[in-house]
Amino acid sequence: MTLSGTTLPAKRFGVSHWFAMFAQLFKWNVLTLRLALPVLIMVQLFTGVGMVLGFSLLFGDINEVAVLYLATGATVVALVTVGIVVGPQFIAQERLQGTYEWSQSLPAPRTAAAAAWTALNVTIAVPGALGALAAARFRFDASLVITPLVIPAVLLVLLSGTLIGYAYAHTVSDPQTVGLISQILIFVIFGFSPIAFPATNLPGWFAAVHRWLPFQSMGDVVRAGLTNGIVTTTTRAFVVLSVWTMLAALVSTWAIGRRP
Amino acid sequence: MWTLRVDNLEKTYDDGATWANNGISLSVQSGEVFGLLGPNGAGKSTLVKQIIGLLMPSNGSITLGDVDLVTDPDYARQLCSYLPQAPMPITAFKVREAIDIAGMIRGGSRPEVQKRRDQLIEILQLEEWRDTLGTNLSGGVKRLVGFAMAVVEPAPIVILDEPTNDVDPLRRRLLWQVVRDLGERGSGVILVTHNVLEAEKSVDRLAIIDEGKLIAEGTPSSLKNDDRGSLRLQLMLPPGSRTPPLPSYIGENVRVGNNVVGVIPETYAAEGIAWAQGLMTEGIADEYALGATTLEDVYVRLTGERSATT
Ligand SMILES: Nc1ncnc2c1ncn2[C@@H]1O[C@H](COP(=O)(O)OP(=O)(O)OP(=O)(O)O)[C@@H](O)[C@H]1O
Ligand SMILES: [Mg+2]
Repeated sequence: MTLSGTTLPAKRFGVSHWFAMFAQLFKWNVLTLRLALPVLIMVQLFTGVGMVLGFSLLFGDINEVAVLYLATGATVVALVTVGIVVGPQFIAQERLQGTYEWSQSLPAPRTAAAAAWTALNVTIAVPGALGALAAARFRFDASLVITPLVIPAVLLVLLSGTLIGYAYAHTVSDPQTVGLISQILIFVIFGFSPIAFPATNLPGWFAAVHRWLPFQSMGDVVRAGLTNGIVTTTTRAFVVLSVWTMLAALVSTWAIGRRP
Repeated sequence: MWTLRVDNLEKTYDDGATWANNGISLSVQSGEVFGLLGPNGAGKSTLVKQIIGLLMPSNGSITLGDVDLVTDPDYARQLCSYLPQAPMPITAFKVREAIDIAGMIRGGSRPEVQKRRDQLIEILQLEEWRDTLGTNLSGGVKRLVGFAMAVVEPAPIVILDEPTNDVDPLRRRLLWQVVRDLGERGSGVILVTHNVLEAEKSVDRLAIIDEGKLIAEGTPSSLKNDDRGSLRLQLMLPPGSRTPPLPSYIGENVRVGNNVVGVIPETYAAEGIAWAQGLMTEGIADEYALGATTLEDVYVRLTGERSATT
């Protein structure tokens, strides 16, 4: 921007501006976390692999179907925890340190900032998911397949998880509350969601609740993409996830555009 | 040329419980360095956060040229670069990286940004820390890096909220130099500071804000106009002692801590000195000083009257 002229510089907008800002903000995000990034990726990797190996120790000899549930469930958990749990904690941290306002003052489109954030979360999450799959393959010889469905499934899981996290982290301005929400979510995801086991194992009322929450659908779509014959229909799961993603995107847009 | 106009700006917090800005109007021209002074909690940061689009005014308008900054916050963020009062998130960045990426996000081209980054590192004498991570920097150097990030690719309006906090006196001078230079490059600079004496030398115009209201505005010399032909006589009293009765030729005066500062007509200089020396001999005063009135006197008079009466 040069100020030599007598008029104000024109407003920057459009696709190339958007991508330039996306690239800069992604770089900014990566550098901001550069000290923590290797650790974060390792932790995610251990979580993914650990979940597969750990649960199998816990339950001893497990049958073929249980192995497939475990392998795909651990994959989903690895994909989703970064965006829905770890990411919001970073945003809460920014608020605590008082640096949140500066990020908000940057001359980049809000959507480019959200996209750069999503890209960062994906970078951290994917190695863990691959680790979980590899562990299941080598430890249990799990009969995983790769169908084209896996691509939209994984993308939707990543996107919905990250945007749900982004939405509540930006909507709730108290960092302590954000921390609490993330704790509750991790508890629900790991312990009480039909991700690594069938919903039929749950009490009826709880299974009914999960039909509307995103977690079971996340399990279903990824399982449909990586196994044969376990999941019969994914239409409902895709619809539920898409609705959650759109809701989260709407809330995020509102929250980051909001001026108190 | 363009002008930033803030018109009758009001901002309340907590559903009207706090009036942080209460009808502020001011304007800043391109090329002008505009100082914003006022006591803690006066509403300075609140004002600049509305300009940059971080806060929504409760009432009033903010325009830059013919752009309405309130209705177009995306454009507002492009037109204003900002150094917040709060710390910058640079712990994981090397000094040069932080400045570079800030310039690139502001839309600068890489070679230009790098050139200007090197200039700033040199002018602000930061060479020693060029490749140091933010987490290992001292508070003042961190502040200077934040400052460099805000000015590496200056926007039409540059907003600096207390840039000199924690910065040593020598580098503060260097920083003021860069601020002056920003004005010469065509930016309008809004400078929030508590450093009245340094501001006096660096700003073209200034406003004093108190309790959300603009209580004075003008050039440093116009604000001192009332004091023309006057001198300031400062008495330093022993801790805890009472203010002695003042001779009638001492006009307006305030006591801040153990200091009494009064304004006397130039023609009474000799009497003033004799009187103050008398007080010293009697042990009523420790020291005295007679000098030209400064902006700080004006500032203390304007904002101190309230604290003296309440
Ligand atoms: N987010 C907020 N919520 C409620 N009140 C606020 C908020 N931010 C500021 N205030 C109040 O608004 C008033 C003005 O605050 P502001 O930060 O604008 O002052 P300032 O002039 O920048 O002060 P300082 O010199 O200490 O930085 C103060 O009374 C402050 O307590
Ligand atoms: Mg302030």
